[in-house]
Amino acid sequence: MHLKTLTLTNFKNYDLQTLAFSERLNCLTGRNGMGKTNVLDAIYYLCMCKSHFGINDRLVMQRGADFFRLEGDFVREEKKEKIVAKVIPRKRKEIERNGVVYKRLIDHIGLLPVVMAAPDDTVIAREGSEERRRFLDNTLSQSDPIYLRHLVAYNRLLSQRNALLKQFHAERRFDENLLQIFDEQMQEPAAFIVKARQQFLENFEPILKENYAAISEDQEGIACVYNSKLLTENFADLLHDAREKDRVLQRTTIGIHKDDLAFKIDAHALKVFASQGQLKSFILALKLAQYEFLRQHKGIAPLLLLDDIFDKLDRGRVRSLINLILEKNYGQTFITDTDENRLQDILSAAGSDFKIFSVDEGTVDG
Amino acid sequence: MTANVPRPPFFPYFCGMNFSSKLIENAVESFAALPGIGRRTALRLVLHLVNQDADKTKDLTESLQKMRSGIRACEVCHNLSDERVCSVCADMRRDRGTICVVENIRDVMAIEETQQYRGLYHVLGGVINPIEGIGPDKLNAQTLMQRAAKDEVKEIIMAISPTIEGDTTIFYLTKNLKDFDVRVSTIARGVSFGGELEYADELTLGRSIVARVPYRAGE
Ligand SMILES: [Zn+2]
Repeated sequence: MHLKTLTLTNFKNYDLQTLAFSERLNCLTGRNGMGKTNVLDAIYYLCMCKSHFGINDRLVMQRGADFFRLEGDFVREEKKEKIVAKVIPRKRKEIERNGVVYKRLIDHIGLLPVVMAAPDDTVIAREGSEERRRFLDNTLSQSDPIYLRHLVAYNRLLSQRNALLKQFHAERRFDENLLQIFDEQMQEPAAFIVKARQQFLENFEPILKENYAAISEDQEGIACVYNSKLLTENFADLLHDAREKDRVLQRTTIGIHKDDLAFKIDAHALKVFASQGQLKSFILALKLAQYEFLRQHKGIAPLLLLDDIFDKLDRGRVRSLINLILEKNYGQTFITDTDENRLQDILSAAGSDFKIFSVDEGTVDG
Repeated sequence: MTANVPRPPFFPYFCGMNFSSKLIENAVESFAALPGIGRRTALRLVLHLVNQDADKTKDLTESLQKMRSGIRACEVCHNLSDERVCSVCADMRRDRGTICVVENIRDVMAIEETQQYRGLYHVLGGVINPIEGIGPDKLNAQTLMQRAAKDEVKEIIMAISPTIEGDTTIFYLTKNLKDFDVRVSTIARGVSFGGELEYADELTLGRSIVARVPYRAGE
């Protein structure tokens, strides 16, 4: 699978820009703040119907514009897929596939699998469990459309249940039978999601270990463990037991929205014991493992977007990472970097098919 | 079509609403407060009325006033009605053993349009949606239970939109109906999940009522 051409209109700092890509390796170079990352985010948007950075559409749009548009000509399993995103923030968001507008955006997710690695990814290891669930959900939603449907259903029911708890508190009443309706409705999506996450981890952990070993200079042992109360206990019982607590706190305190992943390095918590370098290696390994999992699961090579991953690395380390990417035979890959000469030298020596674009103030040469 | 309509010669002049008449201005404001009517259309309607006989305006306002003061909810099914009981509920030729539960009056109209359904209705007035502050007590749920308790009622069809909230509502009603001797069924419909880009397809709703299936929880 690959992206042939991309046209951005009013997207971030681009007025109107069309880019034609190499099927293999594309490097966007230029100083920081010129718009390299925005090109990657545009590609991500066409695959996932939203920005990678979790920012809302109003901020994705160029300042002063009243709409933005992205158009991508993809080739997937030798078939052309024209994807267009037309967005009027706060009014309308339309994603078209070959001229047909999706009724529901979730139907598009997984058609064009994508993995993006960015400098702020270390939040996955450093911050709260939400980031790790986001990683799980991103991967599983792309690999299994049923998972995404159950996730949307679960989250909606959870919001409704929480709203109900707040309403009970405000009205000084408590209707257990009505709460029970939501508890029962949540069983099926929760059971599906726990099982999917558990199975995912079984397949994923060996891939992660392999990727970490390839990237890391030291050879520490790593682990990635799925934690959920729902693995060992019945969700209906858990909800029932937590009812008084939920009532007081006015929110649902148990469920798959409390699941977490525990990352370990030599049997210690990664967040506490890893050095900066180890942390960076771990996160990159996590993303490359996500890539490998999606490729195995979907039978097509996802797009790989690597944003500024060479930052503060010495030349030797950059060379070995690029060689790793070339060796591993990833599909179409997009890399941003500030140092054009460095990339040019390394890539010329490696002898692979590549294209370099230089990005300056929202315009691209290449 | 637009060729016959006098277009304002200079648009900003009219948007600025520099009317010489306060009466015109008030009428324009009233029309423009209606859904789907912009200020330009409102002005066109008002000028149209001005150019016609005064009787035409009187007919219009009288029919609107009559409608508004006379219209009410059917005491049985909560459908719109001119009388205490609506024309559907009053029609003795209809199948009184079947009740189709819908969210709103538009759904009744859509199903009636298809002429496929000969039973009665029950208009809930929405779905359970705590985020919007709507619990079962805000819906016409209690009156449905009272109707279901009657012997003549054999089947209740849930023709409710396929959203998370719709599912929760069907689940709630079905649970509360389980002590009555009624069969609960749902209309054939695609599985759907709320939240984004969803709209109710009224025609599909009407057609699928014929192809209904028994309700089982967890589907
Ligand atoms: Zn009636």
